[in-house]
Amino acid sequence: MNYDVIIIGSGIVGASIARELSKYKLRIAVLDKASELPSGASRANSSMIHGGFDDKPGSMKARLCVPGNKKWHKLKDELDVHLDECGSYVCAFNDEEIKHLELLLKQGKANGDPGIEIITGDELRKHEPNVSPEIVAALWSPDAAIINNFEAVNAMIESAKINGAELFLETEAISLLFDDRKNIRGVMTSKGEFKAPVVINAGGVHSGEISSWAGDKSFRIIPTKGEYILLDRSTKGLIHSFLFSCPSKAGKGITVLQTSEGNMMSGPTASEQEDPEDKTTTSEGLAEVIKGARRLVPKFPVNMSITTFAGVRANTDTGDFAISVLRTPRGFVNVAGIKSPGFTSAPAIAEYIVEAMREELSDRIKFEPNDKFIPERRNIPRFLYLSMDERKKLAKENSSYAQIVCRCETVTEGQVVEAIRRGARTITAVKMMTRAGTGRCQGGFCCPRVAEILSRELNIPLDEITRHGGKSKLLVGKTKEFLLEKYAKGAGQNV
Amino acid sequence: MSDSKKIDVLIIGAGPAGVAAGIGARKEGAERVVVLERDWDLGGILQQCIHPGFGLRTFKEELTGPEYMHRFIQQAYDAGVEFHTNTMVFQIDQDTNSVWTMNKERGIECLNPGAIVLTMGCRERPLGAIHIPGTRPAGIYTAGTARRFVNMEGYMPGKRAVILGSDNIGLIMARRMIWEGAEVEGVYEVRSWPGGLRQNIAQCLDDYGIPFHLKTTVTKIHGKDRLEGVTVAEVDDSMIPIKGTERFVECDTLLLAIGLIPENELSRMAGVEIHKVTGGPVVNDLLQTSNPAIFAAGNVVIVYDIVDNVSDEGLIAGVNAARYAMGKISADIKRIPVIGGENVQLFSPQYVTGETDTTIFMRVTHPIESACRVFAEPGIYSQRLRYARPGEMNEVKIKAEQIKALGELKEIMIDIQPL
Repeated sequence: MNYDVIIIGSGIVGASIARELSKYKLRIAVLDKASELPSGASRANSSMIHGGFDDKPGSMKARLCVPGNKKWHKLKDELDVHLDECGSYVCAFNDEEIKHLELLLKQGKANGDPGIEIITGDELRKHEPNVSPEIVAALWSPDAAIINNFEAVNAMIESAKINGAELFLETEAISLLFDDRKNIRGVMTSKGEFKAPVVINAGGVHSGEISSWAGDKSFRIIPTKGEYILLDRSTKGLIHSFLFSCPSKAGKGITVLQTSEGNMMSGPTASEQEDPEDKTTTSEGLAEVIKGARRLVPKFPVNMSITTFAGVRANTDTGDFAISVLRTPRGFVNVAGIKSPGFTSAPAIAEYIVEAMREELSDRIKFEPNDKFIPERRNIPRFLYLSMDERKKLAKENSSYAQIVCRCETVTEGQVVEAIRRGARTITAVKMMTRAGTGRCQGGFCCPRVAEILSRELNIPLDEITRHGGKSKLLVGKTKEFLLEKYAKGAGQNV
Repeated sequence: MSDSKKIDVLIIGAGPAGVAAGIGARKEGAERVVVLERDWDLGGILQQCIHPGFGLRTFKEELTGPEYMHRFIQQAYDAGVEFHTNTMVFQIDQDTNSVWTMNKERGIECLNPGAIVLTMGCRERPLGAIHIPGTRPAGIYTAGTARRFVNMEGYMPGKRAVILGSDNIGLIMARRMIWEGAEVEGVYEVRSWPGGLRQNIAQCLDDYGIPFHLKTTVTKIHGKDRLEGVTVAEVDDSMIPIKGTERFVECDTLLLAIGLIPENELSRMAGVEIHKVTGGPVVNDLLQTSNPAIFAAGNVVIVYDIVDNVSDEGLIAGVNAARYAMGKISADIKRIPVIGGENVQLFSPQYVTGETDTTIFMRVTHPIESACRVFAEPGIYSQRLRYARPGEMNEVKIKAEQIKALGELKEIMIDIQPL
């Protein structure tokens, strides 16, 4: 298969680059080893669109975070993504931490986060009455926001697809193909060769390994796990925005936030590990989250928890993003080591790197504007948020919107069918695209129903449906089959 | 449904409580009684309960779940109850008691009944509620989800199961998996007493040689795509895992039977007061909620052990909803609060009106394995028991005339204490 550009990884970075490149008449292939999007760090993170005060002026992070933030405030309408423009607070508990707030304030101003200011603890409690009485001051960043990251990644890649990019799931990059050691020719994958003169490494926590295939070992990825606890949506309103602790060396500290959907959430821990795929939660980690959450919000009701999860972020040993168009091999582009504020920065990273590619790779691919580029993309209708008149109209037009599949999140059959039409093949993919299964019963009710709809719409047997691709089948066969096997072996003779 | 005559009593959920409520409402004289069911068939969770053991008290014979329901459904049809399946209530407006429904054929409709009965039942606690560290592979189901796959769809969730928690559904599913040729490595219960009924432990575990481990829990989940095993460990008296007792158990399925939660999303929307401990609506002995036009019965109020109790309560709620719709329940009836004593975990109803004879259902906090007494003060009820266990409900019976005879009564205190 021949393309102009291959993007390895379809997290928010890969997806944003795909969309940015689809503004040109290019044949774009996006490869991801997962069965659904998002799957890596873009799935399990704080869903924060940062204000931009956190990064050292002059760093790539500082340079791209504020423009990324601004882009998201515009993209939310273009891509029809839920963005709660709630602002954020960094909370200080003592004088030393107030000093830190002052540093952040200075940094933020330098980085172009203009609305930030330091307020007193009492002022904070006027807006957020449930925060700790021991908080003495807070840094308020009004441009910070919380995004629905499941929606955002799917929206971004869908927009790229609308404009011609092709997405290949369950396609794992195994190695790079070279004409000689100096020129990139494509990518060898678990599904065979993909050829292109330009390959972009947006491999997230694997980006260090992929970069080393190209011989660039200028940075090292330190996989850093973050654990989270998510609470039932009935906790909505306990706090209204995003609360940071003062950061330490390990990370930005435990935060408490209200997700774009109204759940309370807390995390992340920051533990470095060898294995980029190890997303196990630990009792120590969860205890740390609970402790951190209660420090900020003493009433944080852990007994309302509906799930715990962990994500692995691509920390670098340099402390900054590793974004560059490599000289050798020609055609290889690193967009690596993207961690916080990676989600925020992604649209700005995409613009930045595409600009750099136009300067340096125009001999390999032609950047001819795609005059048919459509910026808008509409989400699958979300029954939960529609007015009663809109619901009636939708149900009249398509009766499957009058059938609830997920009762916790009020997701209709129509939404599930539409997600499948847009490419969902697994229970988790449907979950990411419709939120079926994200509520308080965590799929107990809807999982069998979603499985039935997948089976029916895709015309595959129910016991072939997987949770998240690979060997994650939900069911192991039909009833009576084991019994028949046992009888055949003679085990049932005494029954 | 909405364009015809006014609905007197609207019942949400056609499980055992809802069907009985329909019968009760019609028998009491309500003209139009409608039961809405979101599933394609009537019967609620009993559709899945294909094992015997139902109706011993009501019908004096042992029936399967579907058989038990069939008898009630037949009675309901005979009584003139109107059923609508594939119809989901997704909203109740607090100020008007308007009920919003959806159905593929009829679309979205708004109903304004004379009275509402909430009979939505309960749901299972998910894994996320208990924070088990580890991975999140396929193969972890609540026991009820697994039962739906096996009994309704005809598919097996796995070949070798571990069951966490010992609620009745978990015990029943342990046996069910064995019947289908799967293995069940064991049932693990974090508490020092079983969650389910003694008879289910005997009939579902002991009879099949399935090991039952008390004070033991799952401490880690292993496997990336499909479950590969769990770590189990014994716990101390504060339910903290004891170091050194960890053991890896190979399995491809983990079934959760860690508790049921009354399902009250709609009740909350309707502005009905929810009890902090039961998780269900606060009700009086007419099964009337804090919203006088809304009644509630069955597992939506408090999770019962046996279906006969659910049917009984459904009937009472239906009768009283009909009476309310016909203007027969006055607004200023008595509300004597019931207070739970030291060893009472939860109970319902929470108020006694003295309008009717009533049964208060309760569970103890800690088991008493010797002779004990269940009682209601002042001097209303006293009954000797051989034992009292959290997994088995106890009852306090109160007669209307007793309440009348006691005159001004501030509260009724119930408890179970050793003799």
